Amino acid sequence: MEPITIALPKGRLLERIREFFAALDMRVSFSERRLVCLDSRNGLKFLLVKNSDLPTYVRYGIAGLGICGEDILFESGHQFFTLLEFPFGRTRLCLAGKKGSALTPEERLRGIKVATKYPRFTQSTFNARKVAVELIKLDGSVELAAVLGLAPFIVDLVETGSTLKAHGLEVLEPLKEVGVHLISNPAYYKLRYREIDALVERLKKGVRGGLQKTVS
Amino acid sequence: MKERKKFFQTPRGTESFYLEEALLHRKASDALLDLFHTWGYLPVNTPAFDFFDTYRSLLDPEAEERIYRLIDREGDLLMLRSDITLFVAKQMGTSLTRQDLPVRVCYADSILRHQSQEDISHHEFFQVGAELIGSPGLRGDLEVLLLLLSSLRLLELPATVLHLGSRAFFNACFAERVAGPALHLLRAAILNRSWTQVEELLKAQRCRGAEAGLLLKLFSFIGARKEFAALKAGAKRVKILSEKAAAELDYLEEILNALERLSLGPEVHLDLAEIGHQPYYTGVVFQVYMPGLDSYIAAGGRYDGLLGFFGFEAPSVGFSLFLRKVEDRIAHPERFRQRMPKVNLKEPDAVKAFQEAERLRAEGKIVTLGG
Repeated sequence: MEPITIALPKGRLLERIREFFAALDMRVSFSERRLVCLDSRNGLKFLLVKNSDLPTYVRYGIAGLGICGEDILFESGHQFFTLLEFPFGRTRLCLAGKKGSALTPEERLRGIKVATKYPRFTQSTFNARKVAVELIKLDGSVELAAVLGLAPFIVDLVETGSTLKAHGLEVLEPLKEVGVHLISNPAYYKLRYREIDALVERLKKGVRGGLQKTVS
Repeated sequence: MKERKKFFQTPRGTESFYLEEALLHRKASDALLDLFHTWGYLPVNTPAFDFFDTYRSLLDPEAEERIYRLIDREGDLLMLRSDITLFVAKQMGTSLTRQDLPVRVCYADSILRHQSQEDISHHEFFQVGAELIGSPGLRGDLEVLLLLLSSLRLLELPATVLHLGSRAFFNACFAERVAGPALHLLRAAILNRSWTQVEELLKAQRCRGAEAGLLLKLFSFIGARKEFAALKAGAKRVKILSEKAAAELDYLEEILNALERLSLGPEVHLDLAEIGHQPYYTGVVFQVYMPGLDSYIAAGGRYDGLLGFFGFEAPSVGFSLFLRKVEDRIAHPERFRQRMPKVNLKEPDAVKAFQEAERLRAEGKIVTLGG
């Protein structure tokens, strides 16, 4: 039987995922510069991909499953089966700006200019509130946009708020709590649901067993 | 328009293919239509576009967003064909009489839908399918399911799996107690197997405790006939389901039993989250999956109310197979390519060459005229 393929995101979540899986006796270990690794004992194959590309790999079935933040999932616009939320990596998508620069009633009426890595989320959130948004799509260091005057507001992930503070910015409004999920390509799930359900049950034991406390 | 765009790009949602690939496509498509014909299905040709207003209320917001629209010279809004079943329903619904029933139609044609820049699923835009109009209940459902399974056998597609579900069961559980937009959300959440959301939506409908637990257990179920029989017996024991809902589960079991007795090859799984993506489904629904492909390769179901929308009530059921998606997985594709011997004639006299070529073609050979 082919191993179950799981795409993992490079970056901040990888170490937490590795520890979580290790505590359940599943091994995620990429050799230097390798982007694929196999846990043959558990029948799992891991692919290491860029966070923002992860939904694309799962959408087209290159990886059957993936572990990804809701922020990225929403932005991709693809439909997946969400099988499990992990007990780590929870964060917030927030509207931020210079200290004391809260949205004025006039801005709420006329619309606002926002720089963000998350244009789909931003558009949808503010349009649902009947506020028009002029979007500036950026790929990183979004805080700079507000600091240097590219846009008065930014929408970005905020964990502790220390990066914002360091730039003289603050959270004006938390917009959405986002978690880290195990997702599946729907067709892949339909073909291998028994093995996937067994894996999810095993992972759920980790969630219920309070692995979040042992995972830093 | 820039030169580069004019010559090296095609509008999204379109594709062109040629030579051997096109030959295989044409022959496989013809073979399927021939198979349908042996079951009594006759071809139907639908228009490439029609009035948008005709179909507007039959479309989900997501489907509506993906439709290509244009305006004709009279100023009417048109839509390009995005779902052949809808166009067939209008054609049949406005032209059939009671005496015509049952009617069996089949088609092999392209559809056009918008696709986003990163969407590479353009292979979904050619459908080969069949619709059985005027045959209610088990006989009709079985005929279409068996025709679909025969189509898969004809193409010799490896390891296909059919997931069978029921919109009728979903409707029996929710249609009378959940209002329009919430019902749409609930349908989407079940289709996406988003159980946390389903639980929240049920809570909002004051469906909690044992009832919510049972519904979650049922709709999240996938399994074979025996597992389904055990689930169904358990569900009936607790006496929570309405008679109508319980009857729909019995009906699914009846279909599964019949399919098992016929043992036609592809695995069949009962999957109660398969409730159909199209809003017009009313009865059984099904999708076929295949390893290595990123989405289903065939889909169909019963749509008893659709023709009535066009003025002619007739129970109907059908399916579509995304042929382009599976063409490179067909076993022994040479079956569908030319098998006649090829001759390249090198006769220098053009008249003699044409005469000789005609003679050889009459013998069943493929003849090309060399220089």
